[in-house]
Amino acid sequence: MAAMSILVGQEQGKVPVTVLKVEGDIDASTYKALQDKATEVIDAGAANILLDLGEVAYMGSAGFRAIHAIANMLNVEGEEGMYKSHHVKLLNPRGEVARVIKTLGFDSFLEIHQDRAAAIASF
Amino acid sequence: MRAAEKAGILRHCSFLGGAEDSVLEALAGVSSLCQAAAGETILTKGDEGSTMYFIASGTVRVHDGDVVLAHLGAGEVFGEMAVLDADVRSASVTAENPVVLLGLQRDDLWRVVSSRSASLKSIIAAVLQRERGIVRDVTSRTLQVLAFEKEMEIGRRIQADFLPEHVPEVAGWDIAAHFEAAREVAGDFYDVFQLKPSRHLAIVIGDVCDKGVGAALFMTLFRSLIRATSLSGFLRREGDAVGVDADEADEAAQVRKVLLDSVATTNRYIATTHSRSSMFASVFFGVLDPLSGDLVYVNGGHESPMVFGAGGRHEVLEVTGGVLGLFPFARFGIAATRLQPGDLLFSYTDGVNEAKNERGEQFAEPRIRDAAAAEWTDAAGFLRQVLDGIRAFRGSAAQSDDITMLAVRRIFY
Repeated sequence: MAAMSILVGQEQGKVPVTVLKVEGDIDASTYKALQDKATEVIDAGAANILLDLGEVAYMGSAGFRAIHAIANMLNVEGEEGMYKSHHVKLLNPRGEVARVIKTLGFDSFLEIHQDRAAAIASF
Repeated sequence: MRAAEKAGILRHCSFLGGAEDSVLEALAGVSSLCQAAAGETILTKGDEGSTMYFIASGTVRVHDGDVVLAHLGAGEVFGEMAVLDADVRSASVTAENPVVLLGLQRDDLWRVVSSRSASLKSIIAAVLQRERGIVRDVTSRTLQVLAFEKEMEIGRRIQADFLPEHVPEVAGWDIAAHFEAAREVAGDFYDVFQLKPSRHLAIVIGDVCDKGVGAALFMTLFRSLIRATSLSGFLRREGDAVGVDADEADEAAQVRKVLLDSVATTNRYIATTHSRSSMFASVFFGVLDPLSGDLVYVNGGHESPMVFGAGGRHEVLEVTGGVLGLFPFARFGIAATRLQPGDLLFSYTDGVNEAKNERGEQFAEPRIRDAAAAEWTDAAGFLRQVLDGIRAFRGSAAQSDDITMLAVRRIFY
């Protein structure tokens, strides 16, 4: 079983942004921990989440489902018609993860940033 | 605690139900009182141990990892197998709340009871009683598993009805499909059907995320919605049906509209109605004009189909949008190509390119091209070639994902 850890950081852009930095694989055995951590910070008041994927070597479909569930939790009434979520964005996906994001077309659902400061400022 | 109190605890345990008072008192004398806090693990599976425990108060959980085998309370015993033989602990035991126990060592137990045949008999009877309970449990679980397997088999057969029994025969075209589920039920699907009253042919291949029953249920949903929405798209205008009177420009426009509407409607329906499930499917949906060979398609996050041509043509039909089922307002692009006589369109699911060998390496796209480069004469032969390639590559490694392939070849005239 792949180990995964999540570091929680708090940043202030135009609005407060919670950064979840994931280290390790996001697969069927670890996606729940990501979803639980997101639920925890959202329950504590987080309204904007930046998922830092720079240290993620593999993401399976369970990981994509978790990201969708997080985006759902942060849906704001009246904003459902938005093309891309204003509240969940991805930072720095690499290698195989970047390839799968492109194949599944997740780049058409979510904003993907390469620069952390620019990502935080974009919320 | 006085010996008489300990004897009282032992008396309430059915394990020593038939023992005389003198035996109970003797055992009480050599037993030791111990306690465990809620959540404390008392025995660990695989450990050596020679102590059995009588529960005076509180409850414990007998478990193997996360699987709970039994809950035990006052008057019951655990760890008794270790005093009957010298094997390691067969399961773990954890206190569910503060527990008071009497522990009894193997040697002490046997010293006390060995000269008293009535006590021996009662211990053997208690062990047999437990044995009978285990046999009953195993029998009932086996029956449950058999019933479950029967249900899965029914599910598999019903799901097979959601795949076309035969691919349609279309003049000038040679179409073959291969479907191989990794488990009883699958998340892959394909479909080939005529978009009546139009002459156009729908070519669909899809892969629902995840595996097993959940994926299978969504497979039936995706497949049915795509079929229903695309067919009704043409039926709505039966009066001026595509391919009958409409001029070419109108016809092409309508094909595109029906294709995009079908994908968008299917996506929006699942993304809104089943949003909480976060289930998605990658779908390639192409509409082929069998007269001209024109193929318009939406590739929603699916492995890129390939076109192999007689003159060394190799075209990859890249994604034109994301997967279906997650974001209700996702936008999908549309693209087009033309299949010339001798061209073959090969679409597949990731069970093909991600098939792994014993070393964990993936079959990958270049090997698909290798398989395509070898001799083949028809669509079925082409699929056999790819399949042989996968099997040879996989060696003794198990099939881990569904394998679905669809080959559509335009015949030379």
